[in-house]
Amino acid sequence: MISPIHIISISLGVAFAIGFLGKNSNKLSAVIMLLTIGILTFISAQWAQAFYFGNQETVQIFTAGYKPPFSINLQIGVSESIIILLINSIGLLGGIYLFDTLVKTGKNAVVVYLIFIMSLNQVVLTQDIFNLFVFLEIQSIATAGLIVLERNRNSISSGFKYMIATGIISSLLLIGIVFGYYFTGSLNIADFIQANMMLSKGGAVALFLILASLLLELKPFPANGWALDVYESIKPGTSAMLSAASASAVLFALYKVLPAGNPQTFEIVLGFGLITFVGSNLLGIKQTNPQRLLGYSSVGQIGLIVAILGMKPFLGEKFTFIAIAIFISHFLAKAGLFWLSGIIKADNIRDWANLRKKPFLLVLFGTFVFTLIGFPPFPSFFGKWELIMQLSQSGYWYLVGVILLGSFFEGIYLFKWLGYAIKLDNVNLPEFNINWKKIIPVAIVGVLTYLAGYYSSFFTTGTEHFEKFFVPLFFIAILYFLDFLPNFVKNIIAIAGMSYYGYILLPGLYETDLLRFIFGAIFIVGGVLTLIAGFTYKGQRKGFHPAALMMFAGLGGIIQASNMIEFFFSWEMMTLGSYILIIRGKKSMPHGLSYMLFSLAGAYLILAAFGFTFSQNGISLEALKGLAFAPNLIYGLLAVGFMTKTASLGLHIWLPGAHAEAESDVSPMVSAILLKAGVFGLIILFLSMGAEAAGQNSILYLLGWLGAITALVGNTAASFQEDAKKLLAYSSIGQLGYILFAFSIMTHLGWLAGFTYSINHFLFKAVLFLAIGAVVLRLKTHNMYEMGGLIKRMPFAFIAVLIGIITLSGVPPLSGFAGKWLFYNAVIEKGWYFQGTIVFFAGTIAFLYSFRLIHSIFLGQLKDNHRTVKDISIWFIIPIYTLIIGIMIFSARPDLILKPIGNFLMPYFPTDALSWTDTMAKTRLGYWDGTWVMIIIGIMFSLIFAWLFILSRKATKVEQFNIAYSGERPERPETTHMAHNIYAGFNKAVGFIVTPNISKFWASASENLDGAAGYFRRIYNGNGQTYALHIIIYTLAMYLMIF
Amino acid sequence: MDIINKLLFVLLGLFIILNFGLFMGVSMRKIVARVARRNGVPFYQPWLDLIKLYGTRDQISHGIMFYLGPVFRLSGGVGIFLFMPLIFGSQYFNNFSFAGDLVLILYFQFFGMLGMALGAGEGGHPYSAIGISRGLSQFTTIEVPMTLAVISLGIQYNTLSISEIVAAQQGGFQNWTVFTNPFATAAAMLSLLGAFGHSPFNLVKAPNEIPIGPPTEYHSTFLGVLQTNAAILHVIEAVLFMNLFFGGAVNWFELMLKSFLIYFWSVFVGVVFPRYRIEQSVQWFLKVPLLLGVIAIIIYM
Repeated sequence: MISPIHIISISLGVAFAIGFLGKNSNKLSAVIMLLTIGILTFISAQWAQAFYFGNQETVQIFTAGYKPPFSINLQIGVSESIIILLINSIGLLGGIYLFDTLVKTGKNAVVVYLIFIMSLNQVVLTQDIFNLFVFLEIQSIATAGLIVLERNRNSISSGFKYMIATGIISSLLLIGIVFGYYFTGSLNIADFIQANMMLSKGGAVALFLILASLLLELKPFPANGWALDVYESIKPGTSAMLSAASASAVLFALYKVLPAGNPQTFEIVLGFGLITFVGSNLLGIKQTNPQRLLGYSSVGQIGLIVAILGMKPFLGEKFTFIAIAIFISHFLAKAGLFWLSGIIKADNIRDWANLRKKPFLLVLFGTFVFTLIGFPPFPSFFGKWELIMQLSQSGYWYLVGVILLGSFFEGIYLFKWLGYAIKLDNVNLPEFNINWKKIIPVAIVGVLTYLAGYYSSFFTTGTEHFEKFFVPLFFIAILYFLDFLPNFVKNIIAIAGMSYYGYILLPGLYETDLLRFIFGAIFIVGGVLTLIAGFTYKGQRKGFHPAALMMFAGLGGIIQASNMIEFFFSWEMMTLGSYILIIRGKKSMPHGLSYMLFSLAGAYLILAAFGFTFSQNGISLEALKGLAFAPNLIYGLLAVGFMTKTASLGLHIWLPGAHAEAESDVSPMVSAILLKAGVFGLIILFLSMGAEAAGQNSILYLLGWLGAITALVGNTAASFQEDAKKLLAYSSIGQLGYILFAFSIMTHLGWLAGFTYSINHFLFKAVLFLAIGAVVLRLKTHNMYEMGGLIKRMPFAFIAVLIGIITLSGVPPLSGFAGKWLFYNAVIEKGWYFQGTIVFFAGTIAFLYSFRLIHSIFLGQLKDNHRTVKDISIWFIIPIYTLIIGIMIFSARPDLILKPIGNFLMPYFPTDALSWTDTMAKTRLGYWDGTWVMIIIGIMFSLIFAWLFILSRKATKVEQFNIAYSGERPERPETTHMAHNIYAGFNKAVGFIVTPNISKFWASASENLDGAAGYFRRIYNGNGQTYALHIIIYTLAMYLMIF
Repeated sequence: MDIINKLLFVLLGLFIILNFGLFMGVSMRKIVARVARRNGVPFYQPWLDLIKLYGTRDQISHGIMFYLGPVFRLSGGVGIFLFMPLIFGSQYFNNFSFAGDLVLILYFQFFGMLGMALGAGEGGHPYSAIGISRGLSQFTTIEVPMTLAVISLGIQYNTLSISEIVAAQQGGFQNWTVFTNPFATAAAMLSLLGAFGHSPFNLVKAPNEIPIGPPTEYHSTFLGVLQTNAAILHVIEAVLFMNLFFGGAVNWFELMLKSFLIYFWSVFVGVVFPRYRIEQSVQWFLKVPLLLGVIAIIIYM
């Protein structure tokens, strides 16, 4: 094995040798430099392998054979080997990326780059504090050299600011080292740790200065204006090295020195790290320059890692994994993002829409963004999960809150940015060239994030059976690489995959767990049916299938999950997939963002609740039962978290836009199917709360009211929509309100009603959204008043919508009535009379929008431009009529479905069950025989129809405008079609119910956040002296807080 | 009793109800006319109308849903009839009430309304759509006091079966719901005013404004079917209120008398009060009737 000392000797040797090369040897020197870094990478990889796979012990190396303090002491252990491997590999990739720049600038630049990498290695390896100082200085000087690779006013001035700042910082460090030597008589870090410097005040001050300067090197908020200017103005390739490589080295230096302090020292580091994390991410919200934004994000992420270093005393054995997982995510993603920004060369994040011209780059961009936020399957997901679990376990619940808040802030700007890249118009943006030297490093770190994520899963608690979650992902990855195939082929593959998934998952579940079977069937059967509609689309339909399948894999995953991490992993996969699906719609950018932010916030609440649960009962989903400590807090967090997905009132504002603007076959996916994930979550929660025993819990009481009011507001708002898909979207809000209400009742009948509603909503909302979506595809408009009279052109769509709205409104004999009947019984039994009345009121309002939907589109007057329009596509008709068969079966034989559900509920809700005699259902209060009702109504309807048919068989068919119109003949269908603002009177009477106060509330919340970010970032005025002052004030403040 | 017998009695009941409905309708017209100091139509007018409508030779159709609208409407009326127990204690006139309870009847009302609305919609006349939009708007809040009253009954009698509710009111008028649960009765009787669609809540058909509302385009046999339904529906809805609040009926005479008086109540109010605008009527049901409904529940909490 090659001694790490040679990392320095080789680099120095080559650096000197390059100087001897001739004048025109820039390219040669750059190649030599890359080879050298390649050798460094090899050396570090060799060590890392020895530590990881072999039984290599930590090695101490003393230069010139003397003991310290006369020699320099290097140490290489498992952590060192990993960190230098990371630094050298990123150095190699960064070198490739910067190759052309370095060649152009000359061989001096090449030398600087090599020295930069070498100094970082040494900062990691050295155990000598003065040596650390020296190499930090070398690193600073080399950085300054790299900063001026970009030669313009801004970069030169930021280079000066950088020199001023690092100058002050190194003086602090030097003073600290001098005092430290005085107190310990050694310069070796190990001796510092031994010496217990904190015992004497002088020693404490010395240590303080050392640690403070290392912290300052890491650009803590708010004393980091100089660093932000640097990030913004220099070559992105250099920024990548600063953010990834330099930060790793300095972080490691901090990690080495930190044990010299006492527990309080750790807490202080933790505190300052968190301030940086939250503060920097808050200010990031206001940024529009991509590099500066990345600067904020870098600072924030590094702050989080600093905080994690500070948490070492209570993270226990998981500390290393957490730190590395989160660090490596930052490391890879930030390098990748900076590099991307060098490729795209845009000053405003809005111009990143250009990235879309090369879809491959967009996927990489998305990968990095999701990595930074901590989505699966990336390492940060596992790291953050473990961090939250361990923090909760140690009782630091408030830290969980702070960390999740900071992450949420980061999500705001990163997802805004991603949305711009995916959606904004890019026609007028300049073309950009792709240079393989720039693409390869990005692609490599992109692939590494996936590998690192997969690898991270092995170290996380509760991931013993994760293969069942990775297999679908693998399938999706293959599908992604087949994205060049036509939509038709990919759709067949996707449907085959989903069907197989359903085939292995569902049959077994029916016997063992009916709850999961029902939701699994909704997710997978629904998924297959809605995928069939996708055959309508021509061409390649890039990116659709991986996203859709990811959502369905997530949905399938939450069904299969047996512990909290499996559940959360799947939950986040589902969010990720559905986000991409939703944002595909033409005007979906803002809706995609709000969907994502609500989902993210919801997921964090769930994560926190899982953490608090883990700290008491372990990781199994069963752990949610019987919580001894703060159960209501945990249940409340979970309820709110799940309700972001069910779009209950207050958390619903993302839904109408997201569902309405999505593509025609995506709307039913995200409405009929995806919303049920939230319902499933709530069911798991309610069962954990203790089923019937929890019936009197005040959370449930509140949720019941919330559900009722959601139903009322959702349905009322739906009645006032002019946009057909928005109408259906608001209707979903209302329907989910019923479902929330029904499950909150927590009785046998309430739950039966809840299941009935869930199944029905799946069936009819899929029918309606598919049918309306297909109509929209034909007509190219969502506005109902622009339609009309389409029954003549689209009879199949009309019949589908008719059956859909009859089911929706609960009119017998279709299955919607089952829900209403159960509801009446459940409400009276439970005693929730007033809430119940509100729900029934909402139910009658459903007639308003149902009528509006069918009348404005299919009845009334046909418009001139629709006279030749064709019926909806066969690919929509197939799934629609399959679902209608489902509705008919459920309507005619409700006992087939309700009996097994009743049996399933018996252990949880033994009292006041539904009793069955044949097809007759009985409760304590009433009775209902769905089959007989169907038969009676069917026969009667047929007889009356036959009678009228005999009487009026000779009726003359008349033309469109042949109506009793005061002797006039209407000229235009537009003026004769009563469709716009059809419920004006109702609006006048009760429109106040739907005043958009909640949207206003969220709008003002986001404005205030934006305003706060804008206000605080004024501290960065661009003046080097001010920045120097910041550093001094920061240090002073730290000093005053500590001593 | 075999099924043929059952069907025959059902048809007999339907025949009685239809004719009684026509009679009741014309009586009310006479009453309204007399209040306005007119003579009004002769008593046999509705029968003549029906014969004329069913006999009309010229018929036009706007399409399949236009055709199905009256079918839905009459199925709605007959359906409620079929699910309604008519005469308490009679094994002949309880129809098919075994198939469902009060909730079924409440929701089956919508069947006819919905079909009618759709059929009229295909007629393509804007007046139809205006009438429907008003009707639906008004109906939303009419249902609120009614729902509260029904829930109150559910609590009071601990059942949602109409037969059992009637059974519980037997043994003298003091057992009728109107005396045992006056608030629920009051709320329901006010909601009835809206359901029956006389003034002040007749904006749906609004004579002299949008001449006959939703059925504007209907004529001949179609209108005949609609009028047949109207006759049945008026009686059967009155019978529902009779069963729920006024002790039901043990014979046909009692049924006719009570349903006549219940129906008369809405006509009586109608001739006294002028018509509301739609937003006024929507709000009206959310005031006193709602309050009464709430009280009807609070007394049982």
